[in-house]
Amino acid sequence: MKTVTSSNGASRTAQVKAVDSICPYCGVGCALTYYVDPAQNRILYVEGRKGAPNDGRLCVKGRYGFDYATHAQRLTKPLIRKTESYPKGPLSAENQEGASGPRKPGGLVDYGQVLPHFREASWEEALDLAAGGLKEIRDTHGSDFLAGFGSAKGSNEEAYLFQKLVRAAFGTNNVDHCTRLCHASSVAALMEGIGSAAVTNVVRDIENSDVALITGTNTTENHPVAATFMKDAARKGTKLIVINSRRPELADFAEVYLQIKGSSDVPLYNAFMNVMIAEGLVDEEFIAKRSEGYEELKKVVAEYTPQVAARYCGVPAEEIVRAARLFGGAKAAMIFWGMGISQHTHGTDNARSLISLALISGNVGRPGTGLHPLRGQNNVQGASDAGLIPMVYPDYQSVEDPEIQKKFEEYWGVKLSPTKGLTVTEIVHGALEGTIKGMYIMGENPFISDPDTNKVRKSLAALDFLVVQDIFLTETAEFADVILPASSALEKIGTYTNTDRRVQIGRPALEMPGESRQDWELICEISTRMGYPMHYGSPSEVFDELARCAPSYSTLNYEHLGAFGKWYPCPDPVNSEGEQIVFGDSFPSGKGKLVPVHVSDPDELPNDDYPFVLNTGRLLEHWHTGVMTRRSAVLDAIAPDAFVEIHPQDAEQWNVRDGGYVRVTSRRGEIMLKARVGERSSPGSVFIPMHFREAAANVLTNPAVDPLGKIPEYKYCAVRVTPVDGQDGATAD
Amino acid sequence: MTEKQSGQKLISLTIDGKTVRVPEGTTIWEAAREAGIDIPVLCHSPRMEPVGVCRICVVEIGERVLAASCVRKCEEGMQVQADSDDIQQHRKMLTALLLSDYPQQSAREESTGDDELLALARDYGITELTFPDGAAGPEGRGTDGSSPVIAVDHQACILCDRCIRACDDIQHNDVIGRTGKGYQARIAFDLNTPMGESSCVACGECMAVCPTGALTNKSVAGLKIVVT
Repeated sequence: MKTVTSSNGASRTAQVKAVDSICPYCGVGCALTYYVDPAQNRILYVEGRKGAPNDGRLCVKGRYGFDYATHAQRLTKPLIRKTESYPKGPLSAENQEGASGPRKPGGLVDYGQVLPHFREASWEEALDLAAGGLKEIRDTHGSDFLAGFGSAKGSNEEAYLFQKLVRAAFGTNNVDHCTRLCHASSVAALMEGIGSAAVTNVVRDIENSDVALITGTNTTENHPVAATFMKDAARKGTKLIVINSRRPELADFAEVYLQIKGSSDVPLYNAFMNVMIAEGLVDEEFIAKRSEGYEELKKVVAEYTPQVAARYCGVPAEEIVRAARLFGGAKAAMIFWGMGISQHTHGTDNARSLISLALISGNVGRPGTGLHPLRGQNNVQGASDAGLIPMVYPDYQSVEDPEIQKKFEEYWGVKLSPTKGLTVTEIVHGALEGTIKGMYIMGENPFISDPDTNKVRKSLAALDFLVVQDIFLTETAEFADVILPASSALEKIGTYTNTDRRVQIGRPALEMPGESRQDWELICEISTRMGYPMHYGSPSEVFDELARCAPSYSTLNYEHLGAFGKWYPCPDPVNSEGEQIVFGDSFPSGKGKLVPVHVSDPDELPNDDYPFVLNTGRLLEHWHTGVMTRRSAVLDAIAPDAFVEIHPQDAEQWNVRDGGYVRVTSRRGEIMLKARVGERSSPGSVFIPMHFREAAANVLTNPAVDPLGKIPEYKYCAVRVTPVDGQDGATAD
Repeated sequence: MTEKQSGQKLISLTIDGKTVRVPEGTTIWEAAREAGIDIPVLCHSPRMEPVGVCRICVVEIGERVLAASCVRKCEEGMQVQADSDDIQQHRKMLTALLLSDYPQQSAREESTGDDELLALARDYGITELTFPDGAAGPEGRGTDGSSPVIAVDHQACILCDRCIRACDDIQHNDVIGRTGKGYQARIAFDLNTPMGESSCVACGECMAVCPTGALTNKSVAGLKIVVT
């Protein structure tokens, strides 16, 4: 007879503690619980929590991608560059030593090649050297010869302290972070248009939308859990208008999908407005009460008939009309966008078009309406809010306004620079020109993330002094004089602000490895050693200081945030969750500004030598420069390889075989990687994910920037694709 | 009650003699839960639309047969008996039938210890089965270890459809469905391809909602988890 037993066959037992925290990856900010074995200092598994952004849902990164933090390659001791390892240059080969061509995966930085150039040091020595090197440049050359890159992966507290360090101790506003590479143009357009760069409504309110315009975002891969709510809404009747030059999975759920040509957003949305104005599908009352500049806008969009736009966009005029009518006819419509809008030399113009579209149709400030630039990093909203931007103090207060400057001089007890600082791209350029001589980089990896890697390499090598603070030896750290081993998100307490403006507390699940230290403490150590003492008891104290100088955060503290966080603004943090929808009555700038824009070309167009348009982006399983996810066993196993996606027609014409190796060449460099033949991109256009250093997409990309947002044109440059002999890489070297 | 429901008409019923008032459209299972009466269930989860396939949650409502409380809506004046000897007997029999096919080891019970079928077996004091062992012999439903993260044991699957709803209705990945008929019926990925080769994006939602040892987390296999 069969017996039933609950006794288990497990051979080992783990005493596990549950830690309620939030996911360290994307801007959705999913609430989750880590189940941790403290005896082994390991996270064993993860469960979703019923947080406002995710309702218990997770994606592959959140659920399985936590093991990077306990990877054996974590930095555990401060490192100082050996004297014989100057002058500086890259230390690791792009491909693994001994690899005869690209068959062996290049993978991450080879520690064996890099570590011999550094020696271990005590914290005292490393911090004295780091602070001393920066101080010397400040005192001999001047404050503006220094710059700092903070990180949108750090907490609000770290971002606040970092910008305070740069402003108060370095004495310059040269502080920026990867928001520059992500939504800087959206921010510029939103600040100009409505006076606030945060989203006007949360992702999940799409359930109240009749129509949602989802453009320039591959949401399923880059904000996976947000995409599940969009699909929920679609199933329940919200009509999705999906627009992308590379087919996103959400197109399967769309009422209308327009696969427009890369960089043809402005004519498309001008044509939307053209149709809506011609057919009376605008909100006259909203336009009159809440906006200005309508007559000018009308004049400009009149030129962009659906037929004109169809020529730019490569989609039929009737489809444009259909989409425009659908959007214009909606009682409540929401607009979501991603980097397909922002990462262009006219990214600001693209975002302006979307803002105008929302304003003339009255789709801001009510349930089911809103402007939502989907934030990429877990804390890109918060890092920007905390002032990790060269033009503004915390909460977007201009550094060039003498009144505000005076206020912050009082807060911080030090004289501040009255001129706005340089952006990421300008700082990299400045290093090459010698106008930036020293840098402190916390948690960013510009070597892989910035456009035109060969230029970045020269820039980093040209710096007199570089301090890198990170959890792994990154490509950027190869150029450092001092490397400070720091904390991962899984080892610290801190707040992170998600794409919905929800401020949530991340809690420590793991102990830090070796002698590595908390980032916020290291910032304080360096500042103090540079003559501007910083002393705090805990991150919660830092948050309180941030809240005092950032009006949007003024009502919040750790106690109120609790287990699930709050949306800001939050006038009544005791009884409410904060404001889901903002600007119901007016915008921070008063009336919304309609800024008409004309179509403009991308900076670099294809020609006979470089016939393809290169589009870059991300994969579901990987995160940006791969430093974390390529060290996660599961994520790396699922998506181990770089590839270039090419349309079957082009593959046939250029003799490219699926899985065969090709060289992709732009005016700036060349990489070799496998081809993936598929129909997601249009003929004439190829796609490469940015994560893989051995075939880094940014070797190819164009560093030309948007004039306002200073964001590089990652989504468009000209390349050629040539098959490698034999295509299996056998004869390649 | 959510705001949407608050404006709706309220109806009264009794559950185990306790009077409850709920908005129209509420299921008996939900109403009982609101009233603090726990009705056991395997196929339903509050995160999903109920489908009423396991019939563990049946209750007596004075009809010819027992009603599945997870799908049956409350009606005015309804007198629900959520617990009685008959109902207990019914639930115990269903549990025993499911267990007769169940593998001797549940990967879920072994690791996180939250196998819901085995929990029911404990509740009903089932230690021996009078049915032939459906999991013995060569006719087994097999396993699928092709996913890097999720272990699939078809023998431990009770076809509750939670994973299907998690995949299709919660995450909208539309990967999991059913294949086969009768005893050979089982869950399948895409057109019955191994999970690791299917269009699965490894979000893990199916694994998170599975009540048995059918879909479990590979990384904790064989490790007894004791949450302190």
